[in-house]
Amino acid sequence: MDEKRQKSRSSGFRFEEIEHTADVGLRVQGKDLKALIENAALGMAAIVCDDSFLPDDRMEQLVEVEADDREGLLVEWLSELVFLLETNSFIFQGFQIENISETHLKAKVYGKVAEELKVHIKAVTYHNLNIIETKDGLEATVVFDI
Amino acid sequence: MVAIDDLVKINDYVYEIPQSFRSDMRVPARFFTDDKLLKAVMGDRSLEQLVNTATLPGVVKHALAMPDIHQGYGFPIGGVVATELPDGVISPGGVGYDINCGVRLLATKIEREELSSHIELLTGALYNNCPSGVGKGGNVKLKKGELERLIEQGCHWALKNGYATEEDIEKTEERGCLEGADAKTVSQRAFDRGLGQVGTLGAGNHFLEIDVVNHVFDEKTAQRLGLFQGQIVLQIHCGSRGLGHQICTDYVKAFQKCIKKYGLNLPDRELVCAPLSSSEGQNYLSAMKAAANYAYVNRQVLTHHVRRSFDQALAGKVANRKVYQIYDIAHNMAKIEEHQVDGKLMRLCVHRKGATRAFGPLRPELPAPYRDIGQPVLVPGSMGTSSWVLVGTQSAMEQTFGSTCHGAGRILSRSQAKKKVRGTTLLEQLKAKGIHVLAGSMAGLAEEAPEAYKDVNCVVEVVHGAGIATKVARLDPLAVIKG
Repeated sequence: MDEKRQKSRSSGFRFEEIEHTADVGLRVQGKDLKALIENAALGMAAIVCDDSFLPDDRMEQLVEVEADDREGLLVEWLSELVFLLETNSFIFQGFQIENISETHLKAKVYGKVAEELKVHIKAVTYHNLNIIETKDGLEATVVFDI
Repeated sequence: MVAIDDLVKINDYVYEIPQSFRSDMRVPARFFTDDKLLKAVMGDRSLEQLVNTATLPGVVKHALAMPDIHQGYGFPIGGVVATELPDGVISPGGVGYDINCGVRLLATKIEREELSSHIELLTGALYNNCPSGVGKGGNVKLKKGELERLIEQGCHWALKNGYATEEDIEKTEERGCLEGADAKTVSQRAFDRGLGQVGTLGAGNHFLEIDVVNHVFDEKTAQRLGLFQGQIVLQIHCGSRGLGHQICTDYVKAFQKCIKKYGLNLPDRELVCAPLSSSEGQNYLSAMKAAANYAYVNRQVLTHHVRRSFDQALAGKVANRKVYQIYDIAHNMAKIEEHQVDGKLMRLCVHRKGATRAFGPLRPELPAPYRDIGQPVLVPGSMGTSSWVLVGTQSAMEQTFGSTCHGAGRILSRSQAKKKVRGTTLLEQLKAKGIHVLAGSMAGLAEEAPEAYKDVNCVVEVVHGAGIATKVARLDPLAVIKG
């Protein structure tokens, strides 16, 4: 990873795309694990799709994942969304996190059938994945295989 | 970071990072390059990733990388790592998500001039018949039970269902079927992703290309392969689609528990692995084989679509429209193979991630028609540039566990490429060079611009010079179909 791409907010950005020679990296921040999880999903949606959403776009999917630690939870969550994207063309924009711990997550995901996908994400990797504490909360960098 | 001072030059084409570089290395790391390509290698974190692979339990001799090395996740792309059976490890991340991504080379008896006035028609037929692009499904509709048979039987399933010929199968690596794939080791999610995608190219760097054989370097071997100057050939580059991606996802997750269970000390969680002798290792090996079989069938069904396209577009125009197979190779795979290591015969698990098997002559794994010339190696270039047909060598057996490069290797990230090149401009430039391109997405096209890759000719010069494959023929593109 060498250089940033313009997607950051002026301070305390939610997500930004990171350069990677072959794949795509996403740096994500959140004030807590819940915000980090939501921002990571929004960042991934921004990588794959430019569709805009209307108030009526309220298709709902229930997602529940488990992992051994919070890094694993982040990968499992995003992997589940990759699965929904690929099998149902489901693109998401809103979340209602019903239950979250470092090893378990249950959420309602709201979105719609994507009109056009610009990138195909094959998978979410564990490559160099660490959720770190910052002065603003938590930060992680996720590498996607595309 | 690995610095230039950390490298030891072994010869004109091989550099070594000694085992002393990092205390967790179990063997030295070696990579193939030349002075010209070295700068690109040092430009990203691929050498650090190569060093990481030298820490895997059971790794034998050297962790290796081919001259098209570039940064991946876990393993570098271009990485070759052999581990010793029974207790050496297998790593799903060392194969990658696109299990058995590979290349198939098809040939015709048609010469360039004969096709010149029909090429746009043929390209259009290929584009219509070979589904490509993000989210594009295939036209082979399967139920789960049929997909179970497909992933266990590989190209034998394709033969039974009218998508393959005996000759195709004979000229496919592993005869298009890895024995020991058990559908029970594949998750429902992987089935869900794979059901509608048989016979599809996908997106990213996958493509279908019409090429002309523009230069023959080894006349005798080319003749044996069925290649001649001026001949129209086709390449298909794709893999195991969503089924393979999900299998790798599932096992990278499941293997996270192996870190504690087997006391692994890994520099990157993407390198998770399990001893081959363990139930985890055996289950992954089985599921990986299932994905590999899916990929062989995927390229086989696309071959069937290519043949239909030739008939549709060229009937009444070209007399001999037969499309026959030269070879089909994998470049993301782990294989159980026997190799001589320092005079000792060893059973190894050879991980090749963005690297091609390049067995020398007389290996029993090679198909009978090619056994005395060595394994055909197919090296696709970047879009609009040359591709290569090589053959494997005895020297590759000695230096690289019978492995060589798989392509050009990226140097620019996808967003850097898009900043530098506009898809529409690239399309015009390629057209001016006489190359027709049909692509689903202009942005996707720009990401794959030739500037984003190393010069494939330089990569091939290194493998030829190092003796880990030798040149047979160079192919130049006439038409490209991309997702």
